[in-house]
Amino acid sequence: MKSLVRQILFSLTTFVALAIISFLGIDALPGDGCTALLGRFGSDANIEACRQKNNLNDPVVVRLRDWSSDLLRGDLGYSIKRDEEVARIIAPRIRNTAVMGFVAALMAFPSAIIVGLLLGRYPHTFISKVVNQFSVIAMTLPEFVTATVLWLVLSLWIPVFPGVSVMPSNASLLQLLPNVWLPALTLAVVIFAHSMRTMRTSVANVLNMPFVQSARLRGTSERAMIMRHIVPAALPPVVNVVALDGAWLLTGTFVTEAVFNYQGVGRLAVDAISDRDTALILPIILFGLAVYLASSLLADSLVRVLDPRLRSSDR
Amino acid sequence: MVKLQKASCSLFALTLFAFSLASCGRTSSTEGVLRVGNDAGFGGAETMDPYDGNRTWPTINMVFDRLIGVDEGFAPIPELALSWSSNVDLTEWTIQLRTGVKFHDGSEFDSEDVVYSIKRMIDPEFDSPIRAVLGVISSVRAVSKYEVLLTLATGEADLPLLLADYRALMTPVDSQSTIGKEPVGTGPFKMEVFDPAGTTVLLANEEYFFGRPQLDKIEVITFADSQSAAQALAGDQVDLLLAIDGKSSSMFGDKTKFTLQSIPSGDWNAIDFRVDREPFGDARVRKALRIAADRQVIADTVLGVGGGVVTCDTPVWSADPYRWDGDCPKDTEGAKKLLAEAGHPNGIEIEIYTSDVEVHMVELVTAYKDQVKDAGIRVTIRMADASGFWDDVWMKESAFVDSWGQRPATQVLNEVYRSTATWNPTGQADTELDKMLDGARATKNQAERAKKYARIQEWLFENSAIFVPYHKTLTRAMSAKVKGIEPIVIDAVRWEKISVS
Repeated sequence: MKSLVRQILFSLTTFVALAIISFLGIDALPGDGCTALLGRFGSDANIEACRQKNNLNDPVVVRLRDWSSDLLRGDLGYSIKRDEEVARIIAPRIRNTAVMGFVAALMAFPSAIIVGLLLGRYPHTFISKVVNQFSVIAMTLPEFVTATVLWLVLSLWIPVFPGVSVMPSNASLLQLLPNVWLPALTLAVVIFAHSMRTMRTSVANVLNMPFVQSARLRGTSERAMIMRHIVPAALPPVVNVVALDGAWLLTGTFVTEAVFNYQGVGRLAVDAISDRDTALILPIILFGLAVYLASSLLADSLVRVLDPRLRSSDR
Repeated sequence: MVKLQKASCSLFALTLFAFSLASCGRTSSTEGVLRVGNDAGFGGAETMDPYDGNRTWPTINMVFDRLIGVDEGFAPIPELALSWSSNVDLTEWTIQLRTGVKFHDGSEFDSEDVVYSIKRMIDPEFDSPIRAVLGVISSVRAVSKYEVLLTLATGEADLPLLLADYRALMTPVDSQSTIGKEPVGTGPFKMEVFDPAGTTVLLANEEYFFGRPQLDKIEVITFADSQSAAQALAGDQVDLLLAIDGKSSSMFGDKTKFTLQSIPSGDWNAIDFRVDREPFGDARVRKALRIAADRQVIADTVLGVGGGVVTCDTPVWSADPYRWDGDCPKDTEGAKKLLAEAGHPNGIEIEIYTSDVEVHMVELVTAYKDQVKDAGIRVTIRMADASGFWDDVWMKESAFVDSWGQRPATQVLNEVYRSTATWNPTGQADTELDKMLDGARATKNQAERAKKYARIQEWLFENSAIFVPYHKTLTRAMSAKVKGIEPIVIDAVRWEKISVS
């Protein structure tokens, strides 16, 4: 318990430190929200008036203080470029990415664990080796290649799924769902390969451990051995990979979103960076930080539950 | 076993549900509906205010009309104006308006709307991008309900062409606060849903003064990048892409399904040399820098074969009636000689700044560097950060890559080359050129004016500090079901004449 509290405190400190570094880093870049809004031909007078209006001429420390206090009150800020509250822009995009990530996770994680278990249980079979090689290919192929192949096969040659998404960012869930399958499948291919390979290796390692051999000598049935001994022991490394992949599903999907024109937070981040929309970039960075820290915390907690050795060392 | 059967049944039902949802999302072309794919040009910050820097194109041209349009040959033709005339010295223009035209809200279009619109366009405080085009207008007043008088700061024979700019659209009086999101125009289509980051829906204006549009509806669908837009056209999710990446053309080779059109455009790239920095102050060095390169090779390398029209340092594009088509082959020996005469017998070393802030800007300087090395011009390429390029590099470093959009001759020459122009990127201030520009724009006779503009462009080839190797050619792609779009510049396309069969 103490360890968990310590880790939460560490995560919060990391979050605050990285948030400040992000603010200062973005502030140091050339240009600002006003130059982004008024563009190449904006007159000096208009850019100056815009900066005055939006307090961009204040010292960086003052702006950091104002931004932090707004953030603590739940105010994510205002996008000068888009003339809208940042929260109203980001919320539907996060929802869209979360839906896509959830569908991808449903497609990939359960099947990856089951397939990884079966292949790990029989690691020297021909099928195990072939599937393992294919998973290496799936992992190393750039996402846009996987996405393009899936688009060609499942949209152009066999027209099952819509090729690209043509929905507004705030579309209802029902409008959203038909557009989710191809991007989710692309992401699922990548994370399936990661998780499946980790599970396969972990199971193969556990099989050689003395307690498994001992259980086998005691005459434990195959099913009981798998469920009671092999799976619990093999899962901790997989939980960490699943947590990392889960965080990636929420924060690292901009290539897939761009290929399928999916209105998620990754695409928004790329747009915001190319527009120099600093008010929008920062909350997206914070979202990514929060997701990674939370998933790491969750994974560590789960591993503690699964691994009795860690629980005992906590005391 | 029963459990397994149940699970299989559930899985089968779930799969069926997923596939039925997926097929709901597949759309295909419908008669009377045109689906136009559009770039996310301003990342969702778009507005329907045609005078705002973030105006969304081409949607504004579906909702609003100009006073004057252009025909296929880029000559001015009536739109909301019926006729126009000027005084002898071209400083006062009287415009007769079309009568009986209604805005989409039922109110009547008249001279007060024109006065309101033009005042907003030239308002120095608002500082609209269209002010760079129509800033020559010093005042506007309504003579009668259907007649307007424009007074210019200087004589301008081509005012009708300037008024044909795609942003010089007429908006109703006092619409500034609402027009960005709830536009009311006189155009062929009315706004139904404005969603610049998603799908914007427009319905036919039944009372359009040029006749009811052939289409019932237009959907303008926004795409993050050109590749996903091309995928959408290939998969029958959109019907029309106004410009595609030339490399995507091969996806649309099936002529039974797709139509491809190549349209010369007025977009150009350039390398600018500041005349207030050495060695670019010397006209001989500037000319050497411009004649040392093979422009055709540069155009083919940067834009792909057929992707551009070679240009001899004139910003006037190939379809403009004032275009001068000079001959400017690569002349390595001539360049060496000029450099030697200027005191650089062993050649020169220069730095050119570029950035990926816009497409083709890095490729241009890379191709240029390779082309000019034989003449002893040794180029070092400096990459600048995209976010600060226009603020910190453009017009400030001694040499840099540039990019401009299409403009009529009188506008682009005065905006880029006049000594007093705000956006003159090289600092070249030549009173001889200014006099030539004044003379051309104040010449009423069109043929005479064309000769004067040709002389200006020849002068640029001899003296300019801007290397302009090409104008870009756009590739337009559409479904074969789309009719009524000729291979002409988009400014001349009549949206009400397009149909989907």
